[in-house]
Amino acid sequence: MGKQFLGEFEELVLTMVMIMRDDAYGNNIVNAIKEHQDRDVNLSAVHITLYRLEEKGFVRSHMGGATQQRGGRRKRYFQVTNAGIALLREIKSSRTKLWQLIPQLQFST
Amino acid sequence: MNQVRPPRFFVKFLGWYCRDALQESILGDLEEQFDQDIEKSGINAANRRFAWNVICFFRPGIIKSFDIELNKTIYISMLINYLKYSLRNIQKHKGFSAINALSLSIGIAACLVIFLFIQDEVSFDSMHSKNVYRLCEVQSFPGTNTQKVALTMAGMGPTMTELFPEVSDFTRFWNYGNQLIKAGDKNLVVEKVVAVDTSFFNVFDFPLRYGDPIGVINQPFDAVLSVETALKLFGREDVVGEVFRSGDEQFMVRGVMEDVPGNSHLQFDMVIAISSYTRDNENFDRQFGSNYLNTYLVLNENVDLAQMATKFPDFLLENSGREDITERYKLFVQPLDEVHLRSTDIEHDYNNHRKFNGEYIRIFVLVGIFILLIASVNFMNLTTARASGRAKDVGVRKSVGAVRAQVFSQFLVESAFLAFMAFILAVLLTVIALPFLNDLIDRQLSLISFLVDPWLPLVIVGMVLLLGLLAGLYPSVYLSSFRPVVVLKGLKVYEKKSIFRSSLVVLQFSLALGMIVGTLVVVRQLMYMKNKDIGFSKDHILLVNLNEQASEHYEQIKDELLKKSTVVGVTASGQRLGNNFHQWGFKVRKDTGIVNVTPSNVFVDYNYLDIYEIKLLQGRTFSRDYATDDGLAYIINESFAKELGLDDPIGQTAGHGWYPDDSLGSIIGVVEDFNFNSLHYKVNTLSMVVHSSWGYSEMSVKLNGQNIQQGIKDVEEVYNQFVTDYPIKYEFLDDHFQQLYRSDAQMASVVTIMAILSISVGFMGLFGLASITIQRRVKEVGIRKVMGATVPDLMSLLTKNFVVLVLMSFVLAVPITYILLSQWLENFAYRITISPFTFVLGGAMSLLVALVTVSFHVIKAAYSNPIESLKYE
Repeated sequence: MGKQFLGEFEELVLTMVMIMRDDAYGNNIVNAIKEHQDRDVNLSAVHITLYRLEEKGFVRSHMGGATQQRGGRRKRYFQVTNAGIALLREIKSSRTKLWQLIPQLQFST
Repeated sequence: MNQVRPPRFFVKFLGWYCRDALQESILGDLEEQFDQDIEKSGINAANRRFAWNVICFFRPGIIKSFDIELNKTIYISMLINYLKYSLRNIQKHKGFSAINALSLSIGIAACLVIFLFIQDEVSFDSMHSKNVYRLCEVQSFPGTNTQKVALTMAGMGPTMTELFPEVSDFTRFWNYGNQLIKAGDKNLVVEKVVAVDTSFFNVFDFPLRYGDPIGVINQPFDAVLSVETALKLFGREDVVGEVFRSGDEQFMVRGVMEDVPGNSHLQFDMVIAISSYTRDNENFDRQFGSNYLNTYLVLNENVDLAQMATKFPDFLLENSGREDITERYKLFVQPLDEVHLRSTDIEHDYNNHRKFNGEYIRIFVLVGIFILLIASVNFMNLTTARASGRAKDVGVRKSVGAVRAQVFSQFLVESAFLAFMAFILAVLLTVIALPFLNDLIDRQLSLISFLVDPWLPLVIVGMVLLLGLLAGLYPSVYLSSFRPVVVLKGLKVYEKKSIFRSSLVVLQFSLALGMIVGTLVVVRQLMYMKNKDIGFSKDHILLVNLNEQASEHYEQIKDELLKKSTVVGVTASGQRLGNNFHQWGFKVRKDTGIVNVTPSNVFVDYNYLDIYEIKLLQGRTFSRDYATDDGLAYIINESFAKELGLDDPIGQTAGHGWYPDDSLGSIIGVVEDFNFNSLHYKVNTLSMVVHSSWGYSEMSVKLNGQNIQQGIKDVEEVYNQFVTDYPIKYEFLDDHFQQLYRSDAQMASVVTIMAILSISVGFMGLFGLASITIQRRVKEVGIRKVMGATVPDLMSLLTKNFVVLVLMSFVLAVPITYILLSQWLENFAYRITISPFTFVLGGAMSLLVALVTVSFHVIKAAYSNPIESLKYE
């Protein structure tokens, strides 16, 4: 497998899944993005992205238990896999490296 | 808890397109969001958002049908598996599959050929777009049979167009036969010259290659040539404006038309304006009297034909000037598309190319369906009969997890596959058989006609597959119903005595039997017509066409011919045997006064009776010794004598209808009835007369049977001595008579072929069936043998069932066949009676075929060593 890249939205969703730990499912992620980033995203976009991430092996999913909510339908919970965590770390460190390369002078003015 | 539910339609929509694995969580999320939205922004906004979301989910990755791995591949690979399995199965049972596919392919091939044939017949005159009808008459003259004729009077067309609002246009078609044409220094006999009205190319859509359809034949001496004639005459196509001579007149070419296609009932090489011949006759367009040309009318759309027909008698009364005309003539119109196929009962039908009996088309369709039915029944029967062989296969498939529908569809696929192979085989068979068939029935059929309509091949392939599916339906239902436990335990599938299958065999054999008997009857009728004593000798008689020039020199030609050793005798007549002769008025003076009758008439040379060996019953034949024999002496036939009701007709004062009452001649002889018309018709009343000055139209040369070839040469030589302008045209009377029964003979060959096919298909079916039934009884036979049964005992035991089946089919087939054949025979005035012996013979033949077929297996089983069949128990 060559080096994997993530799109901006994919990165956002993956980060959210990591943040929310055991409570990451479609609708919750939409709400969280609204809350933390003040950004309206469509549910279907989130779903598609989650499935794509799953296909790439960065998250895995399982069905939760049924509740009285949601018409008795179960939730599909997502968790970040080790590969996903590693990828996020790498993205972060590569960004940091790049930030350090920016000349100080320009930064202050 | 909120009781409001999201819009049902969208929930359903999502359920329809969404992949099953994802559906639950997506719907859950959507509903959760919906609940939040209701609290936040009200139900309408929530509904709207829900709908929008559902639509947003409609994208690849979510939608089912993009989900290739899960669905389609299974079906496709199963299909491939079924096909592979079918192939293996076919290979494993080569002989059986060959019989199965071959019998079906014979059925399909027969249908293909019949389809081609009918397509060709039905296509006649389909190129014309106008609402054209042919005017015909029913003539009932005293002293002659009532007859339908295609001939009409010259005045009918023009006056009808004037007086009937229904008729918008007309054209007459007057056959001028062969004409000698001179163009420059070139002489050519053009075979089919016709004179027509100016509207001819408007009424009929015969396309012109050069010239304008309106106005090509407006003036006297305008002519239109076919491309072929133009090439022959001038050596090029565009000859508009050229002139040529015919007789003493000069004609101008106004147009060149495409050659008339073979599927037109009107055939002609040259069209001439009718006014060229009639301009001196001012009354021509008002002439009511003799009938000698065809009239075609263009009727307006939606004309009530019945209503129009009620006006015909008044029309005749008012325009003919004869009070008795309505007793003699009735008019009727015949639609153009019926002229080719529905004119069998119409006589004097001279311009009807390749006239065909449309009834036969129905018979052919019936025969085609029969054969296909037999073949399909076979197919079904054989597949079902092999059920026990496939039982284990079904059992294994089912226990591994196949559901009934899968086993069912597997057998359907197999059957459709086999049907398709049979179709390919059928096309091959057709390609091979068509040239022979074309030869036999004198057609130019070709599989290419299937490609005229791009849909046709598809439809046919579709129908073949459908046939395969239908024929496979019963076996599939039956085979897929096996219960795995029963089958795999090793128990034999308990075979009920299948009434269904037995009745199929009975049906099949009834059809085959019907075909055999039909063939026997048809062939016997044709033999009967060929061998019937028709009252005159037609052997070795050469008919030579006498054109103008030859007719003038007839006496000289005759004298020269009689000097040749190859020539036995020479005579001549105004008309050829084999048709009805023209009917003219005839007067007889009786005690009560002059009686007018209308028998058939022919004018002949003095020695006509001698040459044709027509038997004289009373009186004498024509003789040059009596001056009055030229025009004033009549020889009548028996029927006419009876019709006249005279005790002693000889010497009776009589004469042509147009003779004044005081200058009649007399009847000098009575001959035995002879069939001058085809055997489809009864012998009509006839009067013969000599008119030496009229000019005979045909010479009959009786040749010495020893050396026909030399005889023909001699005739040609003498002819060419006297006739320089026209090449000789001759035909043997025998051939001419064969021509008369061509339609019947073709019918006979087709029925024979079909009978052979259906018998062979039935044979194959029975062969396969017998092999299976007897195989199943192999153990029974073994046990019986051990117990002391002899070979003859066993053989009769095994054969009994089949014999019963054949007998049953005999009982079923006899009445139906009898009725159908009697109907067919009614077409002939002279016919055989269907003897019971024919049925016995047919039954015996099919029984024999059945026994021979079965015996192969029976003998094998009866002689087999019981140890072989019993050792596995």
